[in-house]
Amino acid sequence: MMTGDKNHKTCFHCALPVPTGCELTVQIEEEQRPVCCPGCKAVAELIRDTGLSRYYDLRDAPEPGVGRPPEEAAEWKVFDSPEMLDAFTESHDDMREATIYVGGMYCSACSWLIETTLGKQPGVASAEVNPITHRLRLRFPAREASLSSHLATLADLGYQPQPLSPESTVRPEVTEQRTALKRLLVASLGMMQVMMFAVGLYSMDFQGIDPDMQHFLRLVSFFVTTPVVFYAARPFFTSAWRGVARRKPGMDLPVSIAVGSAYVASVYATFTRGEAVWFDSVTMFVFFLTLGRFLEMRARHRSIDRSAALSSLLPNTATRIDNEAHVVVPVSQLTTGDHVLIRAGEAIPADGVLASGATSVDEALLTGEATPQTKVVGDELSAGSVNLDSMIEMTVTSTGGDTTLGTISRLSERARYARPAFVTLADKIASYIVVALLVVATGVATFWYFNDPDRAFVITLSVLVVTCPCALALATPAAFAAAGSRLSQLRLLVTNGNAIEALSRATLAVFDKTGTLTIGLPRITAVFVTDNAWTEKDCRVIAAALEHASTHPLARAFALPDELPVVTSHEIVVGEGVRGIIHGREWRLGNASFIGGVAEVNDSAATHVFLGVDENVVAWFELEDELRPNVAQTLENLRGHGVGTALVSGDNRAAVESVASRLAIDDVYYECTPEDKLAIIEAAQKRGEKVVMIGDGINDAPVLAGADTSIAPAHGALLAQTSADVIMLGDSLSPLTTAVEMSRKTMRIVRQNLAWAIVYNALALPLAAAGYVPPWAAAIGMSASSLIVVLNALRLNRFE
Amino acid sequence: MSVLYVLIPLALLLLAGAVWAFFWAVGSGQFDDLDTPAMRVVMDDDTKPDQEDTRD
Repeated sequence: MMTGDKNHKTCFHCALPVPTGCELTVQIEEEQRPVCCPGCKAVAELIRDTGLSRYYDLRDAPEPGVGRPPEEAAEWKVFDSPEMLDAFTESHDDMREATIYVGGMYCSACSWLIETTLGKQPGVASAEVNPITHRLRLRFPAREASLSSHLATLADLGYQPQPLSPESTVRPEVTEQRTALKRLLVASLGMMQVMMFAVGLYSMDFQGIDPDMQHFLRLVSFFVTTPVVFYAARPFFTSAWRGVARRKPGMDLPVSIAVGSAYVASVYATFTRGEAVWFDSVTMFVFFLTLGRFLEMRARHRSIDRSAALSSLLPNTATRIDNEAHVVVPVSQLTTGDHVLIRAGEAIPADGVLASGATSVDEALLTGEATPQTKVVGDELSAGSVNLDSMIEMTVTSTGGDTTLGTISRLSERARYARPAFVTLADKIASYIVVALLVVATGVATFWYFNDPDRAFVITLSVLVVTCPCALALATPAAFAAAGSRLSQLRLLVTNGNAIEALSRATLAVFDKTGTLTIGLPRITAVFVTDNAWTEKDCRVIAAALEHASTHPLARAFALPDELPVVTSHEIVVGEGVRGIIHGREWRLGNASFIGGVAEVNDSAATHVFLGVDENVVAWFELEDELRPNVAQTLENLRGHGVGTALVSGDNRAAVESVASRLAIDDVYYECTPEDKLAIIEAAQKRGEKVVMIGDGINDAPVLAGADTSIAPAHGALLAQTSADVIMLGDSLSPLTTAVEMSRKTMRIVRQNLAWAIVYNALALPLAAAGYVPPWAAAIGMSASSLIVVLNALRLNRFE
Repeated sequence: MSVLYVLIPLALLLLAGAVWAFFWAVGSGQFDDLDTPAMRVVMDDDTKPDQEDTRD
């Protein structure tokens, strides 16, 4: 589960790479496990000390960085004031109930961990987590009147709790699952009952019939089948009707015709004491179809989980300035025109305009741009970006769903909620078959009507059921769904089913550099000490101390676990660096001009940060964005599968070529604008290449959309993810090779399935049309052929 | 055989009861989480907190 390779230790708790020089470990189950920061260490120890170490055995592999606690503890006390308690909880008798969105939970083991830990806390009546919506319902006695301790516990476990205003309505995905479950139950119980009566009816056929008993059993079957048809099968009728209304008949149309006509005919036969009833075929058919839809819905829900997490990117509270007074309010209470105070390190709670102060902000979430952006009075600030350097005041221009972040979240949610495109494709194929089938069925009905009118209906029904294009229609989606679920276990989230087909034909993989081939976080690659009075270790420790309070992305490179010297008069100079007094001397860390000295550095491939004391340069650090683990091996494997590699980057030549040479990439393009990138991809496509684009920046979005398949890492810009077909959750690129192998295997299975479905229909149709197949056998044949297709697809789940 | 005229309606009544109970259970949210309960059976042994000291 938690295996990093030898060169790259990953954090046992959050799966981020452990910084060089960090020696923190946690003992869990007799073994010392490496962790990346004191925060993760504390969380892992808390989990161990509460006796819940099993969490680590049972969770799915974590997304790197998820579960890593923030460096500074958030202030939860504000949620204990009576106004806040009223705003965020509901009172039931002497109990209060709070709904809390839990950011950072990603598998069932998380909900177990949360429920168990909170359940053990004094003053908690009940804690229930819904893993679909990531919402925790917490009930506690009203006299406790404390929400903060529970929120703090969640934060201590490494999650990002966010109290929500009480919701009067149940979330749509919960309602959908509940309804689907009820339908499934009605269909399955109904099927079992009707089957039982059918056994009686069939055996009576052989043993001689007591007409009254036969009538009674038929009546009973009718009672049980009616809710199955009108309740469990209703979605098929509505969807068939929608298809007819839009003149695009789907596979639900023949399904509905078969179910509807068999039911009507059986009811007619029951009340007129006619020849035969087909209640058993009807219920079995409905059950299998309902089961298929239920499984499909579960797969879809799993893939929308992540979009819900976006709302946790905003802070819970904001500091509003009301006539010089600072009031902490929930973010939901902010309105346009409010003035808010944002301290360094805090996330910006709403869109707005900088009203006073100057700072730099990290907008990586929105734009994928890792370099901080400098902001002065009058500049626009976007909700969700992080204020890095100093305290600012902002005038709010839009809040909540109207912000840029809100819009992007909605876009990506809509993209994920939409039915995967491959279902539409399969529906398109099925609708041709449906039309053909209806023509054949009409032909068969006409023929038998003139030759043997008594059997015409039964035979037509058999034809409709036996040739139901279920197997054909399931052939592709079942394989894609199985591949999608296996790929998600391998840390690749497929958002567009066509991606699998395109991926199986890929001939060229085009990579962006920053954040894709590289981690996007700089690391110290070299330290040059120019003043012999200091050792390299001294310089590292002092730099770490200076950067400790800074939230600048570069600061993370300096993180050191050691005891750090105390820094006084610490100050961040926007766009320049940091300074502070250590042991009575003024130290500065930042760019060359900020230190006062000039150093000879002529290597533009790396970033340089200078350390100086009393205006003299003491050392400089070379920071380089590090390659992701196993990149070289992955690219080698890809080439082994016949997929070429190319590097397209907006960075300068030296930086791009240094990466390309280390990875043996031949096709290298540097200083590209997004238009250049798109042109490069289109040129490759004209040559007949099938292009996979792997990129993470917001400027990559059009390029991602232009490629045959697009893959975006999960930590990149949200907009890039909305236009990507596959989202890569892990830190390593190695799942790419697996994805290519997997997609090829999937297409093999799809072809097997299609071949089987066609052979089956080709054999069954003439037999049924000739009248050799009774409806119950047709229903079994149809179910069996679909089952074979599904089982064949499920083989993909065992793909290594 | 005539006992069936009583037993089958009785069975249907039980069935209706079962469906009603299930609908109630679904409506009260007991089936919202289909994954965690399966895990809880495996995990909820009363594991004592590890007693070893932390050498790290």
